[in-house]
Amino acid sequence: MSNLSLSAQTPFRRALGEPSVLIGATLLLLLVALAVFAPWLAPHGPNEQDLLSTLLPPAWAHGGDRSFPLGTDALGQCILSRLIYSTRVTVIIALTAPLGAALLGCALALIAGYRGGRIEWAILRMVDLWMSFPAIVLALVLMVALSPGLLNVIIAIILVDWTRFCRVIRADVVVLRRKDYVAAARITGASHWQVVMKDIVPGITPTLVSLISLEMGISVVAESILSFVGMSVEPHVPTWGVMIADGLKSVFSSPWGLIAPVACTVLTVLATTCLGDGLRRTSDPRLFNRSGS
Amino acid sequence: MSPAHAIPWKPDLLQVPPVQTQPSGVALLEAIGLTVSAPGSPERPQVLRDVSFTLRAGATLGLVGESGAGKSMLGRTLARHLPEGFSVDAGTLRFGGEDLLGMPADDHRRLLRARIAFIPQEPTTALNPVLTIGQQLQEHLLHLGVAKDEWRERATEMLAEVRIHEPAQVLDKYAFQLSGGMCQRVMIAMAFAGDPQLVVSDEATTALDASTQAHIVKLIRSLQQRRGTGVIFVTHDLGLAAHACDELVVLYAGEMAERGPAKRIFTRSLHPYTQALQRANPHLTGARRLLFSLPGQMPGISDFSSLKGCRFQPRCAVATDTCTPHVPAMREVLPEHHVRCVHGASAPEPLLAADASDATLLHAPRMSEAPFLQVEGLSKTYTPRGWLRRGTSMHAVKDVSLSIAPGEFVGIVGESGSGKSSLARLVMGLETPSEGRILLNGKALVARAEDWERRIASIQMIFQDARSALNPRRRVQSLVTQSMESRPHLHSDRKARARELVGDVGLAPDMLARFPSQMSGGQRQRVNIGRALCDLPQLLVADEIVSGLDVSVQAQILNLLLRIRREHKISLLLISHDLAVVRYLCSRVLVMHRGVVVESGETEAVFANPTHAYTKSLLAAAPPRDLQVRWPA
Repeated sequence: MSNLSLSAQTPFRRALGEPSVLIGATLLLLLVALAVFAPWLAPHGPNEQDLLSTLLPPAWAHGGDRSFPLGTDALGQCILSRLIYSTRVTVIIALTAPLGAALLGCALALIAGYRGGRIEWAILRMVDLWMSFPAIVLALVLMVALSPGLLNVIIAIILVDWTRFCRVIRADVVVLRRKDYVAAARITGASHWQVVMKDIVPGITPTLVSLISLEMGISVVAESILSFVGMSVEPHVPTWGVMIADGLKSVFSSPWGLIAPVACTVLTVLATTCLGDGLRRTSDPRLFNRSGS
Repeated sequence: MSPAHAIPWKPDLLQVPPVQTQPSGVALLEAIGLTVSAPGSPERPQVLRDVSFTLRAGATLGLVGESGAGKSMLGRTLARHLPEGFSVDAGTLRFGGEDLLGMPADDHRRLLRARIAFIPQEPTTALNPVLTIGQQLQEHLLHLGVAKDEWRERATEMLAEVRIHEPAQVLDKYAFQLSGGMCQRVMIAMAFAGDPQLVVSDEATTALDASTQAHIVKLIRSLQQRRGTGVIFVTHDLGLAAHACDELVVLYAGEMAERGPAKRIFTRSLHPYTQALQRANPHLTGARRLLFSLPGQMPGISDFSSLKGCRFQPRCAVATDTCTPHVPAMREVLPEHHVRCVHGASAPEPLLAADASDATLLHAPRMSEAPFLQVEGLSKTYTPRGWLRRGTSMHAVKDVSLSIAPGEFVGIVGESGSGKSSLARLVMGLETPSEGRILLNGKALVARAEDWERRIASIQMIFQDARSALNPRRRVQSLVTQSMESRPHLHSDRKARARELVGDVGLAPDMLARFPSQMSGGQRQRVNIGRALCDLPQLLVADEIVSGLDVSVQAQILNLLLRIRREHKISLLLISHDLAVVRYLCSRVLVMHRGVVVESGETEAVFANPTHAYTKSLLAAAPPRDLQVRWPA
C-alpha cells in the first residue's frame, strides 16, 4: 500500500519534503524579514550621504570603514543599508505583480478554455498580438505613459506578463474540460460556475502555484530593468536596479557597488526558480509517479 | 520501390491445420520454481512464487489471470526488465538449454535481438508517432542484418505476410494513420521478422475489436506453425486462451493455481479460482444463469506477505483449515494436469447464488409496457471546421430510433467507431443532435434550461472510464452525492444519502472518506454507479462500463446492476462491444454499424438467428464455448 500512503499525503506536506522548495522558501522568507525590519537592520538611512567617505571599499578590505560594512557609493551612501531598504520594493513587487498577472491571465484563460468558440479565438489572438510585442519595450512605453511610481510599476508588469498565465493555464483548462468528470458534474446539475470553481480551478492550482513562483523572479528582474533605466519608482526610493545603474558608473574604482545588487537579484531569482521547480515536481502527478516508489 | 503486386500471394496462409494438443517439439523455454520479489520490508513480497512450466518449440503456452496476477512479470523477467528493486530470488529460467538469468548481459541482449521477440499490448503507442512505418521497419531490419538496399523489399514482404493490403503504401504511412489492428499487424510483422524461436505476446489482442482479435490470433498461429515458433500468450480471457493455446498456466496473485492442457483446463477446471473465473464469465450460448461473483478483490503486492498458505484461500468458497499456514504443493492430479489446491481433483462445487432471492435477479420485473423514452430519427453529423478547410461531413449516428420501457434493459452493440458512444452522449444531452428528437415521458426534450433539468432528473450516465469520470480531488462522500450540490441541502442529509448510496453499490462505509486514487478499478466503477443513482433516475445510460474490468469484477458489477433494477426499478441503456455481457443483462438489443442500426429485436432471437451480415460477423468473432468448433474460423 505504499502507493496509497503517498497519495494520502497532503500536497503541502509533500512540498515541504522537497529540498528545493525548502531552500527557495527560506530565502524568500528571509527577504521578507529584511524588508519588514529594514529600519532596525540597516546601519544607515537609505539616502543618508557622507560626502567625506565616498566609494569606500568593504569593511574587510584595505581602507574600509567598519561603519560601512559593504562600503559606500559615489555619494557616500551605505551600500548595505541601500541593499536592505531596496528589498521593500522587491518584496512588494514580487508579492503583488504575479498575483495580479495570475488573476487577469487566469480569468481570461478560464473564459477562453471553458467557453471555446469565438471568445477563445479572440482571446488567443489578443495574447498572440500581445506576445509579439517585445516585453521590455512594452513595459517602457507603459511606464512613460503612466509616470513613475510603485503602483504604476506593478500595473505595467501585470499588463506585460498576464499573457504567460493565459497561454499556459488555457492549455490546462482545455484538457480538464474534456475530462469525463466535468461532463459528470454537468449531468448532476452543476451550473457552469460551479463546474469551473469545483472541478476546474482545483485542477489548475498546481500549475498556477508554480507559475506564480516563477513569475516572482521574472517580476523582480523586470522591475530592476525598469529602475536601471530610471523608469520605475520615484528617484529617492532605493532599488537594486538603481544601485546597479549607480554602481556601473564607478565599477572600475569600486566594483562592490555593482556586485552587491547584482548578487542580490541573482539570489532572489534563483530562490523563486528553486521554489517553482520544486512545487511543480511535487504537484505534477506524472513526475511524482516516476520518482515515487 | 517494389510494387505491391510483385509480392506472391500465399493462399496457404489461410489454411490453418487444427492445433495439435500435444506438440512434439523439444523444450524451448523452461521455468523451474521461478520466484520474483518486490522491494518491501520487513519481508519482501513474492510477486511470482514457485512458477514452473515447459514450453515446447512450436507450441503456445497461455498465461491466464486477472490484473495483479503477475502475468506480465514473467515477460519482464525474460527481458531482464524488472521494475526497480525487483529481483529473481530463486528458480531457473532456461531458453534452449541456456541459463537466461545467469548469462552475461551482452549474450542476453544478443539473444533478445535474434531469438526472442515481444508483441506489446498497445500497438499504437509502441510505434513511434514521428517516424513512418517504413522507417521503423528499416531500422529494425538493419539491426537484424538485412542489407541496406534490400530492406524495402523485405519490409513489403513482411507486411504482406501479416495480410496488410497494399504494403508498399503502408510503409510511407505514420502509426496514427493506421487502425489499431493494422498497427498490431505491423508489430507482429516486426516480431516475426528475425525468425525468432520465442514470441511473447502480452495481451496483444486486448485493446482490439473482437473481429480484429480473431484475425490477430489466427495470424500469430499461422506464422507460428510455418516457422515452429514457441509462443507465450498472456491474456486475461480464459475462453480465448482455450482456443489459442496448447497449454495453460492460471495465475492468481503471483502463484500458479493450475497448469495443464488448455482444453482440459477449460472443460474441467479443478482449482476453485479457475472455476470461479469460468462461472463469472457470461456466455453467448446456452441457458442464461446467474454469474458467480467472487467476493472481495485480488490482493495487492504489499498484502502478499501477510497471506499465509494458499493465496486464494481468503476468497475461496471451499477453503478448509488445511489451506493455511502451508502453501499447498502443485500436484499432478490428472495426467499433465497440475493443480495447487488441497482438494486436488475433487473440489466441492461452491454455491452460485449468495442468497436464494438472487436467483430471480435475471427476470425483469413486471412493469408498464409503455415506453417512457423514445428516440426518433436521431442523427449526428460532424463537419470539420476551420479556415479554408472544408472536409466531407461524417455521420456518427444516422437515423436511429429506439424506445425504452420502465425497468427494461436495452443493449447497443457494435465495434469501435460504430457510433454507439455518440448515441449515448446524445441521449444524455452531452451532444446536440443534428436531426431527430428525443421524447421523455411523451414530451420532446429541447436545448432549454428547464428541459435540461427535466432530462438530468430522469436520465443519468455512467461513464466508461471511472478514473477520468471521478474528480481525483473529491472524496467518495462528495462524489456520490454530487447532484445534491446544485440545490440547497442539509449537511447531515447529504452524509446520510452518501451512506445509503455506498451501501446500495456494495461498498463498505469506511470508503466514504477515500479519494478515487485509493480505490481499485471495480470500486471506482461502483462509486461511478452510485453517483448516477443519487437522485434515482428512470434511466441509466452505461457506456462500456465493464470493458476495463477483470472478469470477476465485471460479474460483480453486472449483478449489481440487476440488483439495482430489482430494488429501484431502473431502466438501462447499455453500450457494449461485448455481446455476452449484453446477452446477460439486456432483453432487447440494437446492433450498430457505422452509425446505423442494422438489426434490432429480442436479444435471444437476434443472437440465435442473426439476419444481418454484420451481426453474424460479430457473433462469429467471439471465441465459442464449444472447443470442438475451430476458432478463429
